[in-house]
Amino acid sequence: MIRFVGRRVVELAIVFVGVTFIIYVMVFTLPGDPIAALGGDRPLPEAVQAQLRAQYHLDEPVWLQYLRYVGGLFTGDLGTGFDGRPVGDRMAARWPVTITLALTAWAIEVVVGVVLGLISGLRSGGLVDRTVLVGTVLATSIPVFVLGVTAQLVFGLQLGWFPIAGTSEGWPTAYLLPAIVIALFGLASVTRLMRGSVVDTLRSDFVRTLTAKGMPRRNIVGVHVMRNSVAPVLTFLAIDLGYLLGGTVVIEAIFNLPGIGALLFDAIKTHEGPTVVGVATALILIFLATSVVVDLINSVLDPRIRHE
Amino acid sequence: MRRNQRTAAASILLVTALGLTACATGGSDTADDGTRAITFGVTDPGTLTPGRQLVAYDFNMAVWSPLSFLESDGTLNYVQAESIESDDNITWTITLKDGWTFHDGTPVTAQSYVDSWNTVAYGPNAFENSGQVANIVGYTDLNPAEGEPSITEMSGLTVVDDLTFTVELIGPDSQFPLQVSQAQTAMYPMPESAFDDLDAYNTHPIGNGPFELEGDYVENETLVVTAYDDFAGDAPTTDQISFVPYTDDTTAYTDVQAGNLDVASVPASRLPQAGDDFGDNFYSFEAPGISYLGLPLWDERYQDVRVRQAISMAIDRETINDVIYGGAYTPATAFTPAIEPGTPEDICGEFCEYDPDAAKDLLDEAGGFEGSMEISFPGGGGLDDFYNAIANNLRQNLGVDATAVPSADWAEFSDNRTAGNIDGPFFSRWGALYPSQQATLRPFFVENGGCANCIPWYDADVKAAIDAADAADTGDGSAYADVQELILEEFPAPPLFFETYSYVTSDRISDLVTSPVGNPRLTNVVLAGE
Repeated sequence: MIRFVGRRVVELAIVFVGVTFIIYVMVFTLPGDPIAALGGDRPLPEAVQAQLRAQYHLDEPVWLQYLRYVGGLFTGDLGTGFDGRPVGDRMAARWPVTITLALTAWAIEVVVGVVLGLISGLRSGGLVDRTVLVGTVLATSIPVFVLGVTAQLVFGLQLGWFPIAGTSEGWPTAYLLPAIVIALFGLASVTRLMRGSVVDTLRSDFVRTLTAKGMPRRNIVGVHVMRNSVAPVLTFLAIDLGYLLGGTVVIEAIFNLPGIGALLFDAIKTHEGPTVVGVATALILIFLATSVVVDLINSVLDPRIRHE
Repeated sequence: MRRNQRTAAASILLVTALGLTACATGGSDTADDGTRAITFGVTDPGTLTPGRQLVAYDFNMAVWSPLSFLESDGTLNYVQAESIESDDNITWTITLKDGWTFHDGTPVTAQSYVDSWNTVAYGPNAFENSGQVANIVGYTDLNPAEGEPSITEMSGLTVVDDLTFTVELIGPDSQFPLQVSQAQTAMYPMPESAFDDLDAYNTHPIGNGPFELEGDYVENETLVVTAYDDFAGDAPTTDQISFVPYTDDTTAYTDVQAGNLDVASVPASRLPQAGDDFGDNFYSFEAPGISYLGLPLWDERYQDVRVRQAISMAIDRETINDVIYGGAYTPATAFTPAIEPGTPEDICGEFCEYDPDAAKDLLDEAGGFEGSMEISFPGGGGLDDFYNAIANNLRQNLGVDATAVPSADWAEFSDNRTAGNIDGPFFSRWGALYPSQQATLRPFFVENGGCANCIPWYDADVKAAIDAADAADTGDGSAYADVQELILEEFPAPPLFFETYSYVTSDRISDLVTSPVGNPRLTNVVLAGE
């Protein structure tokens, strides 16, 4: 187990260096000069542009800029955006919003998804099962943008149940509607996955044996079926949490939530190398970390998977 | 199962904890306690310092008072200035009103202005709006082509006494009093404390205006300004303005519809429906902005003036305006926006009128148009419908193989445009910051005048005519008529629309007033029931 974790950490370090360099070069080679575009259709004076280019080292070759950036990382300096604000501060200010949104959506997925999946798995072919099937197909086929705007107009504007935008009303009011919209997508997968898994497990030999032994159905389902069918769902849920923490650019924009996704989108638009690399690297680390956690959880839940 | 229950419980606890933290930092902005407070939807400004801000005009106009203020009826009132005078239009003497203070209590003096303008101009500070002081003698010394400047002050600024200073310009310019009006934020004064730590000042700017900032600026959090008790000018009609940042302007629009926000600007995509959605609460303010269809004059096919005129006559401005902008704009009939005094309206005449048959004849007369025509515009800004409509017009009316192609983003477009890597018509617009024909003609038609490569057509005669008009104008803008005649002769690019800036308000506001710069005048908002 220790060797397994150690190996993953080394892999992580290699991926980290590779990815930061690649992203840095990619942002650098984006067409268009970010400083010239800073003022939009009111271009900045030439002298100001030259000064800003020197200030942000944009007049240097890309490898030197990258080395500077990595050097800064070791002293905890994540660089600065083109308006002089430290990237570290900007990210720190935005993580709480994204984490709150992600965990709210995730909690909805876990609770509703597992329960619905379990019910439709136990009563496959029943009314709940059919309703869930239709519902999940619908939810996954509507683009998140349409769903978000519609939910905003119906529940925010017409019914007035939720605020339309912003975080000023705090959790849970401000986060509930966007979280539900995001959760609907993961929810569909969780439910289907859970349902299939439950159906499979119910048909397995050990369940038949337990039934034959006369164990009450409650116990069979609650302990044995649950534990055996939740493993693949848990894998999905962990990966999905990583995805949710990446920020959902569209939802954050529609509901005016200043999260990490919105920051990344803005930074790509303005070609702010340090911000893009900082956010992207953090996201990659989250993905890598969740994948390690998934492997560990799986090996704990299912002794057949061993990491020697 | 038990393990999973525990996991679920733990995650719910975590969610709750995070939610509580979010609650603590949030808080409601609505005031129901009788305070006359309004909320205004903005883009997160990033920079607030007047010499640096790029998207914080409304905040700046609330926190600072300008030297002069141009009213909607065209009169120029003095606010912080007592007088702005000159005998030769080169050396201007500015006298300040006595008794005005910054929000930190220190007096506004001639020295405040001189120090501020020097700070704006000083090259190494890289103030984004330093172009606004570029006509003062000594600006180039502070911005040498190579290396650091050896001095920190412009020689053209001289303090005479506590309340008087003189400004020497590089050439005669009758429009100077307008250049220190409300939207020229780089001309605002900063208190002495600002110069020690410009970064700290950007976080907590201190102005001389009707409102002062509460607390510090934090990215993506609401900026609250309250009426400054010791303000020496006219008291504002509201006690408090909250500038609420929105990442998406359509969300702000929807929030005004729901009554959660009082004022928001209208995104282009909502212009056609804003009148229906808001009725009397929809405001379209005439603004000093104008759009052109830039033409690649380096391409031989566009050399004949008749080709350029034909393109202009083939564009159905009325229909495009009605369908795409809900009639909010005005089809252009001159080379500067109509709101700029003295603009000879209708000088463009038949060439700005939709006449597909005459356009086709004119093009044939000029020898037709070979090959295809690709219209370039910056993508991602909601301009697609607009340029597709123009391409359709040109295709149907002139038989030219015209298409509209967006760039990936603004930076790519701006790069291609500046480098001349564009072989078709292109996006070209300018929003002036003070309504004088000078403020539109210079950016478009003088090299390094501001709108780099907007058209770009730089003619020595036009430059000379603008210089002459700058020197000679008596305030009514009539001196610029000659310039417009010269431009008409050459017709370098078709003017398209005089722009308006549009806003919607909640029912809490009964009247939103404006000034000739097109922004709402936040000091004079009329609340419902007052």
